[in-house]
Amino acid sequence: MSTKHTRLIAAGAAALAAVGLLAGCAGQGAAGSAGAAGEPVEGGTLTYLEHQPYTTLYPPQAGFYPNGGLVNNLTARLTWQDPETLEIQPWVATDWAVNADATEYTFDLRDDVTFSDGTPLDAAAVAENFDTYGLGDEELGLTVSEAINNYASSEVVDDDTVTFRFSAPAPGFLQATSTINSGLVSPDTLDRKLEDWGAGSATEIIGSGPFTITEEEIGTSLHLAAREDYDWAPASFEHQGRAYLDGIDLVVTPEDSVRIGSLLAGQADVIRYVQAFDEQQVADAGFEIVAAPTRGVNNSLGLRFTNPLLSDLRVRQALVHGVDAQEVVDTIFTANYPVATSELAATAAGYTDESAKLAYDPEQSEQLLDEAGWKVGDDGIREKGGERLSLTVYEAKPQPLSKQTLELVSQQLAKIGVELNVKAADAGSYAEDILDPLKTPVYHSMVGRADNDVIKSQYHTQNRNTLLSDDAKLDELLESVASEPDPAKRDEASAAVQDYLTEQAYVIPLFEEPQVYGAAPYVHGFTTEAVARPQFYDTWVEKQ
Amino acid sequence: MPYLARRTGQALIVLAIAFTATFVLLQALPGDAILIKFESPELGLSPEQIADIRASYGADVPAWQQFLHTISGFVVGDFGYSVQYGTPVHELIGTALPETLVLAGLGFVVAVVLAVALAFLSTLAPFGWLRQGLRALPGVFVSVPVFWLGIVLIQVFSFQLRLVPVIGADPVQGLILPVLTLAVPISAPLAQILARSIDEVQLSPFVAVVRAKGASPARVLWRDVARNATLPAITIAGVLIGELIGGAVVTETVFGRAGIGRLTEQAVANQDVAVLQAIVVLAALVFVVVNLAVDLVYPVLDPRLKRKAVAA
Repeated sequence: MSTKHTRLIAAGAAALAAVGLLAGCAGQGAAGSAGAAGEPVEGGTLTYLEHQPYTTLYPPQAGFYPNGGLVNNLTARLTWQDPETLEIQPWVATDWAVNADATEYTFDLRDDVTFSDGTPLDAAAVAENFDTYGLGDEELGLTVSEAINNYASSEVVDDDTVTFRFSAPAPGFLQATSTINSGLVSPDTLDRKLEDWGAGSATEIIGSGPFTITEEEIGTSLHLAAREDYDWAPASFEHQGRAYLDGIDLVVTPEDSVRIGSLLAGQADVIRYVQAFDEQQVADAGFEIVAAPTRGVNNSLGLRFTNPLLSDLRVRQALVHGVDAQEVVDTIFTANYPVATSELAATAAGYTDESAKLAYDPEQSEQLLDEAGWKVGDDGIREKGGERLSLTVYEAKPQPLSKQTLELVSQQLAKIGVELNVKAADAGSYAEDILDPLKTPVYHSMVGRADNDVIKSQYHTQNRNTLLSDDAKLDELLESVASEPDPAKRDEASAAVQDYLTEQAYVIPLFEEPQVYGAAPYVHGFTTEAVARPQFYDTWVEKQ
Repeated sequence: MPYLARRTGQALIVLAIAFTATFVLLQALPGDAILIKFESPELGLSPEQIADIRASYGADVPAWQQFLHTISGFVVGDFGYSVQYGTPVHELIGTALPETLVLAGLGFVVAVVLAVALAFLSTLAPFGWLRQGLRALPGVFVSVPVFWLGIVLIQVFSFQLRLVPVIGADPVQGLILPVLTLAVPISAPLAQILARSIDEVQLSPFVAVVRAKGASPARVLWRDVARNATLPAITIAGVLIGELIGGAVVTETVFGRAGIGRLTEQAVANQDVAVLQAIVVLAALVFVVVNLAVDLVYPVLDPRLKRKAVAA
């Protein structure tokens, strides 16, 4: 529709709809020009549109992006992980020592760090944080952090030295201290029950980061204010001192078109969750797309081999070779969603290339299914002993365009004679059914974390256990990833897991899932931490 | 007075039934909020830990005990805790309700103004084609989905013409588009009923008498017809309160406003039973009160009904 035409219709509609009310509301004016990024400017408030309201600010449960986006800006951590090199650098900890078998970590702390209520962030406070995150607190309902394994105890050596001990090697712990799940909060805050970290409590959570939450409207909006006295950015940052922005207005805007429209109309400055089909529109308008990799287990379909239909290796192999991930990406997504070449993303720690063994090869699939005794029936779906090769997968709400992805995969599998029913469910039925391999033989998921441990999180029977596995060998391989102190050997252990998952055809990797943000051209320095959570410390705005 | 007492008794029965039906239906759904929130694989909680959480929410006892516990809580004004947010339900509803009352109240007023204007204009307007056109409008309005209307209004007035911001609007600006979105579909049935009853009343013998006495058409319409034609419209207005609640769910989600509608949408998505229970009872209460008010207004508008009530 031409602009003129739109204007005409709009003008007509305006006349009809009591224009008087609208008069006097000044237009917002066009967005400022992009220009070259000059010297950072201090001041200004940035409007950030979130897709969903946060559910809790308890750091170990901050994996949900709306939670993590806040925790990342509210808390400092012992260490900082460079998002590019994945190197662990000093933050609140200036230095650290790890013993040979990675069972004892000692951190030296800065002595000038305070929580936002003014209390000092000392060794005792750090010890209390990790005692809670490493052991949990059943009375308060606080859970153990997924990022911390084998935690035993802490010891306050002096005001600025703390030691942590582990019951078994914990090579992932150093990286764990850099994640949002280990965000440092005041000891008083740690006394809160899990319920008191949720909606309506945001302004009472006392953190150690560059921002604090000063206003909350439950489920709708938050205001974050910069801490004037923040002066402990990671030493590797060029920018030190307080954040450039005075504050951030976070507005929850569930409707996709409203988020995009607000950004393009200059009402919002940064938005999270730009759908793949909207990227072009945002880019064409001269706005920036920030697609940050999540560096973990790829967006993939887990094949639950405890379901009898999937117990035969040949059937699983047929499914792996029957899915064309390239077509999924070409049809539904964009260049920001690279095709998977392994169970892990190419940007993840411990990645090894498995693409040769994961290639799309429908002829091989058909051959494998023939060999396994599955013959094509009257309706084109294979049968064996009167049973149809029919599988079910649920739409995964957290994954981008999950339904469209699964429907395309279903069409691809139909070509090799496998039926894949794509179901959508309310949250209750979903939560119940995904725990049963008979009801959910195929499971769509991913997980991000920039450490080798990520693969254990996804597949170990004591963690997310997305395969609902009973495979002791797999658990053993995963445990060696989480307990091997030598970095090179740890990468080998991770490669061994990927080899095993590929060999057993337990997983159909699809693509490397990014978090996609849109930013106005006058917004500079908007970055993300290692797993794509927004980082507003360096952000500054050029306009006004 | 016995009439009022009887009606209040009926209202309480309706509320009790609404409460029970909601409770039974929510119990019958597969899964629950605790499962959704705590058995998420990400948390890695052991079955024992989840059992403890269940116990702490009082969700480990038989359903009938939970029912007694919940209903006795409601009687004394304790609606329990939201599992999803961990916040007391009265706090969630307390912050959301005023927002929705303002939105729904204004939406309703604008809908009535729109409906009255349409109904009378479609009777009084010159030219047959204009009257026909105005008559057709409510039919168009009623078929417009609230969701679509909200997005179109935002796109046109906020994003294209940039007259009102959606994000960062002051309270008055922030109400303009949502109120319109809510009002248009609600005005439609109201305008249809009103226009139809104006037609009917105009054919009544008494109108012919008034006309014969030399009254102008406008006087006939305003003094004689309007009063009689509003009765059916008021009945339907009571029913439309339900539409307002449904409309608020969509409107608040599209415009990202806090309110009961948004809270409902979130609570349904997460099977937050305590919140839903309170919202259903609240909605039933509003229905009951509005319908009672409508019934009480009838005799005031139509003295014949007063005589009947007295006779009975």
